[in-house]
Amino acid sequence: MLQDFLNSAPIPLLSALATLVMLLDAMKRDGARIVFGFSVFSLTAAMAAAIYTMFLPDKTTAFNNMITCGGYGAYFDIVFCLGGVLTLLAARPFLLASNTEHGEFYSLILFSICGMFLIAHSNNLLTLFIGIEVMSVSFYILSGYLRTSRFSIEASLKYFLLGAFITGFLVYGMALIYGSAGALGYNEIYQAVQGETGARFPMILLLGMGLLIIGLSFKSAIFPFHQWAPDVYQGAPTIVTAFMSTAGKAAAFSAFIPILAVLTPESSSPVAAKIGMLLAVLSAATMLVGNISAVVQKNIKRMLAYSSVAHAGYMMMGLAAGSVRGASGIVFYVTAYMFMQIGAFILISALERGSEERYQNLEDYAGLAKKHPVMAALMSVFMLSLTGIPPFAGFFGKYYLFTAAIESGYTWLTIIAVISSVISVYFYIGLIVAMYFRESDVQEQDSRPGLAGISLVISAAGVIILGVIPQFIDKIAKSLF
Amino acid sequence: MSVTVLLFGILAVVAVASGISTVMSRNPVASAMSLVLHFFTLAGIYLTLQAQFIAAVQVLVYAGAIMVLVVFMIMLLNVGREEQMRENPGYRTIIGTALGVMLAFQVGKTAFTDVAGRHVLPPGSAVTGTTEALGETLFKMYLFPFEAVSLLLLVAVVGAVILAKRKI
Amino acid sequence: MLDLAYLIPLFPLIGFLITGFFGKKLKSEALIGGIASAAVGLSFAVAATLFFTLTGLPADARSHTTYIFSWLAAGNFNVDVAYQVDQLSIVYALIVTGIGTLIHIYSMGYMHGDKSYPRFFAYLNLFIFMMLNLVLANNFLLTFLGWEGVGLCSYLLIGFWYDRKFEGVNIRFTGDAANKAFIANRIGDFGVLIAMFLIYKTFGTLEYNAVNTAAAVAPPDAGIMTAIALLLFLGSTGKSAQLPLAVWLPDAMAGPTPVSALIHAATMVTAGIFLVARNATLFALAPDAMTVVAVVGVTTALVAATIGIVQNDIKKVLAYSTVSQLGFMFAALGVGAFTAAVFHVMTHAFFKALLFLGSGSVIHGMHEEQDIQKMGGLKKYMPVTHRTFLIGTIAISGIPPLAGFFSKDEILWMTFEHGGHGPMWIILAIAAFCTAFYMFRLYYLTFGGKERFDHHRLHPHESPVTMTLPLNVLAFLSVVGGFLGVPYALGFFASDHPNLLENWLGPIFSQANGILGRGEHHSIHAIEYVLMAASIAIATAGILLASKLYKEESEKPAELARKFKGAYNLLLHKYRIDEIYQALVVSFIYQFSERFLWKVFDVKIVDGLINGAAKTTQSAGESLRRIQSGVTQNYALLMIAGIVVILTWLAVG
Repeated sequence: MLQDFLNSAPIPLLSALATLVMLLDAMKRDGARIVFGFSVFSLTAAMAAAIYTMFLPDKTTAFNNMITCGGYGAYFDIVFCLGGVLTLLAARPFLLASNTEHGEFYSLILFSICGMFLIAHSNNLLTLFIGIEVMSVSFYILSGYLRTSRFSIEASLKYFLLGAFITGFLVYGMALIYGSAGALGYNEIYQAVQGETGARFPMILLLGMGLLIIGLSFKSAIFPFHQWAPDVYQGAPTIVTAFMSTAGKAAAFSAFIPILAVLTPESSSPVAAKIGMLLAVLSAATMLVGNISAVVQKNIKRMLAYSSVAHAGYMMMGLAAGSVRGASGIVFYVTAYMFMQIGAFILISALERGSEERYQNLEDYAGLAKKHPVMAALMSVFMLSLTGIPPFAGFFGKYYLFTAAIESGYTWLTIIAVISSVISVYFYIGLIVAMYFRESDVQEQDSRPGLAGISLVISAAGVIILGVIPQFIDKIAKSLF
Repeated sequence: MSVTVLLFGILAVVAVASGISTVMSRNPVASAMSLVLHFFTLAGIYLTLQAQFIAAVQVLVYAGAIMVLVVFMIMLLNVGREEQMRENPGYRTIIGTALGVMLAFQVGKTAFTDVAGRHVLPPGSAVTGTTEALGETLFKMYLFPFEAVSLLLLVAVVGAVILAKRKI
Repeated sequence: MLDLAYLIPLFPLIGFLITGFFGKKLKSEALIGGIASAAVGLSFAVAATLFFTLTGLPADARSHTTYIFSWLAAGNFNVDVAYQVDQLSIVYALIVTGIGTLIHIYSMGYMHGDKSYPRFFAYLNLFIFMMLNLVLANNFLLTFLGWEGVGLCSYLLIGFWYDRKFEGVNIRFTGDAANKAFIANRIGDFGVLIAMFLIYKTFGTLEYNAVNTAAAVAPPDAGIMTAIALLLFLGSTGKSAQLPLAVWLPDAMAGPTPVSALIHAATMVTAGIFLVARNATLFALAPDAMTVVAVVGVTTALVAATIGIVQNDIKKVLAYSTVSQLGFMFAALGVGAFTAAVFHVMTHAFFKALLFLGSGSVIHGMHEEQDIQKMGGLKKYMPVTHRTFLIGTIAISGIPPLAGFFSKDEILWMTFEHGGHGPMWIILAIAAFCTAFYMFRLYYLTFGGKERFDHHRLHPHESPVTMTLPLNVLAFLSVVGGFLGVPYALGFFASDHPNLLENWLGPIFSQANGILGRGEHHSIHAIEYVLMAASIAIATAGILLASKLYKEESEKPAELARKFKGAYNLLLHKYRIDEIYQALVVSFIYQFSERFLWKVFDVKIVDGLINGAAKTTQSAGESLRRIQSGVTQNYALLMIAGIVVILTWLAVG
């Protein structure tokens, strides 16, 4: 038992610390500063624990095979914690500016990361489900965190209603898989599916898989289950959006990879081919819809929301490829995406400073290069990376995924991906053009990012470092499978 | 046709009928009462599946506690007939119904494709549903998810407080 | 120890990051300049340490590669970020960091009070970083990164005062000059890029050692070798301002003078020589290409030297002089005298940096006046500048025992011995004569004679110590630098290997020399002494002619100009090369571009396609936006539709 705790250290550790954060907040009134510091500490501690477990000699499971230890899950733990730290650092100035700093915000972020840990480590559909719910419920609440804002409440309610709706399908899918395979554990399902006859009730299993994919697609905003994303991302507090659209998406994909590997063990089987085709079609549709919709947006958060839909499409290419290269490509992309997307949103949150009017629309960014040259430069880095321009992380993310898709025979998918990338140039570079080549007559008071500056620098550094030495992460990603 | 199948048939028909009645009836109280009936029939179906504990919990929690809450809410808010709520039955209702039927058909068709060996409950399943057996499984095999659920409940409580409390 | 090579480029990078991002915050000029100078100084210290480590090793073990990380790997294509420290790269690294440090210090005085002070130092540090990547790289791609990087920095620094006026053909602002430099360089870069593709295709790798060894062991088809060598040389002509791409360098003088000294005299423009020297084996295997290199070098040396005679802008004279000296270096490369070329790179870096910094000091003291016809008699106002400038002038003219004599004489001798015993030597000798002449003309017009400036408006003054200190150091180096390469003919009595540099660089070029059939033969030729005497005589003649014409105020120069009006005007307008390019190339491209590319291809075909695509995308986006109604029930509806379609497909298909 103790060994189980040690092997899965990040999960119990962060759960305990998150609860402590809440208690600390309850005991110390007006102690938000301390709560903030302790939250950052908690995440750092969890990250340290994750790094420790990542180098465990052999990959084991813990608690009756309910979760896996180390390796894959631990890598995602690190990514989640990193996203959490970046968000928290930027959150404090944001919350102070909008005068809504409460300790609960920090504990909810920590709780949602606990949920993500469960998702990434899950070795049982039950654990996966609970993880998804912990994360989602935290997100529902965080979206509505600005209670006085109409948009925030609307976002929260929409997210909650649709999320609850799709959860029904997710659970139904799990139930069907259970009915067919006779077990909820990944190992048992794998055994059941792999037998020569296959599962007992192949049709039911297929339906269950379909519903499971649908449920997870909703969480990662895949077409046609993406429509909540723009509304929620726009309405939610920007800093929450930064977190949801990166860590949340990473968590959904961290669930996707192992469950698909379990359900389609032989990549040459007709079932695997069918699922692969389904994923490829979803991926293509998602990229196109995301990027085309982003073209006509005027609101920057909405534009980035659609772009995040498109990026989910890119990531799904790796799932469709169904190979180690595809999976490691997703792992790399998730890491790169974490830096560039969170950076962009944090930058917006730093500019708007708690107001719901400033820096919302694309035209507000005209002439930013004159007013805040450093901010504009950082934003350009993030945009170029999101576009996939070479020296930045985004390029290699796409490169790995595209090669994975081609190697698995999805050339048409890659062509669509390239076309949609070209479309995306329009609005990413459009923002840069606005910042550098348009004039604005609005006078600007000083706008210092404060702690968010640290997040921004880390994000930009991450984008550049991953772009310069992609091999480093790629090697780690390959070693996870 | 065994007794179980017959029982299931009756319960299923009543369940679907009360479900439709919940959605269709215009009076909220009637709607709530239909829901109670629905919950009871579900509990009955659980019993035919040898899941005694779940059946009991279904009655206690849903038909008991949650329905009481629902009825309280209806009374407190004094919701009358849902006049203003209802738009004209536009395209949404039509498409929604069509899709619902298609989905039901799809699932039904799949459910009836491979039926061999489906009706027989595994031997010893009469024991699996008891409180004792469930407790054994829950606190040994599934201890970890059981504990993880506490996290979920905690988050839900915190969320309720944040979103609903007037001043935090 | 040698693994510390990564520190050499690291320090300037850190300097760049600090001055670039926090420069405005630092406020204090001394602090910014200090950080930037210290960064390069530290690099120099590391480079010097590595150099002494290398000298302690046996000659064949003086090449060491430090792998930093794997950069790109896709299938068989593998490129590392790796730094190669060997005899050649360390010499270049020492020149770049050493002279770089001096020029950084000088700039602290020169740029004093400029509103973009931090930006200037950030660019300079970035330049040093890129230049070090260029010379220390162990493969073509990393060199190319540095190559493009220094081009970028050059562009940024030429246009540093982007809104100042600047005269030239089709040039009105310094920004235009920057563009011209950038475009001329791009043409050359294109050559390098194609050469890299060819090299990768032929040898399957981009690492210098692997490529050169593979070429030496199993030489591929001569045609391919010639193509690779010529394409690399095309890149070199761009970067090192050789004909036909020489036109950008004189206009590059629009940048601040320290930039001209560092980038456009001492370091970046010698990158072309580096590229050829680094791939000496490849060139040795392509004799036709070698001939082209030699011919281009010799021609450029003469053409630029003759133009230099009549120019009146102090920096332009020096610019043409640089082009001409670079021509000397390429001539040496072309006849296979690689060591001589690198030797001249080094000595030239000393005295040309000195001359440019001296001219900067003059311009500074004269309040931005650059026309030498409006100077004169500055001797008594600027004693230090005068003294050091005179040393530089003597050095470049080739008077022993100053540095320029040794390196230039070696080139002259090598072209005589290996370059067809006559014509090339004669042309270079004429160029050398012109060099001595225009340099002393420049010297006399600036420092000697009467004061031709307006005393009421101008009060020339000596520059601050931050500027004169580098001048003194460089003057010292210009005096003694030549002794690193004493010719055997002069030093055989002192030691077996008087030419230290040749000895040092020997292993680098041994492969190439083997292919060219050059052994180590140190017989003494009587003719070498004769030629040496001749070259001294030529330099002296040039100096004497200059002093006759310009030492005292006289009408003679103007008279001569009237007499040979045609020739004078031709030279004054730089053989009208710019105009010819304008007429032939630029306007042709313009016309083609306007008539066909713009009005037909762009407007009709491309715009049609793009606009069509954009319109389709826009309208698709609009209709998608209509679906995004904001009504939650509709979202649920679409989701159900999606679920039904997916499940049906799974169950049926």
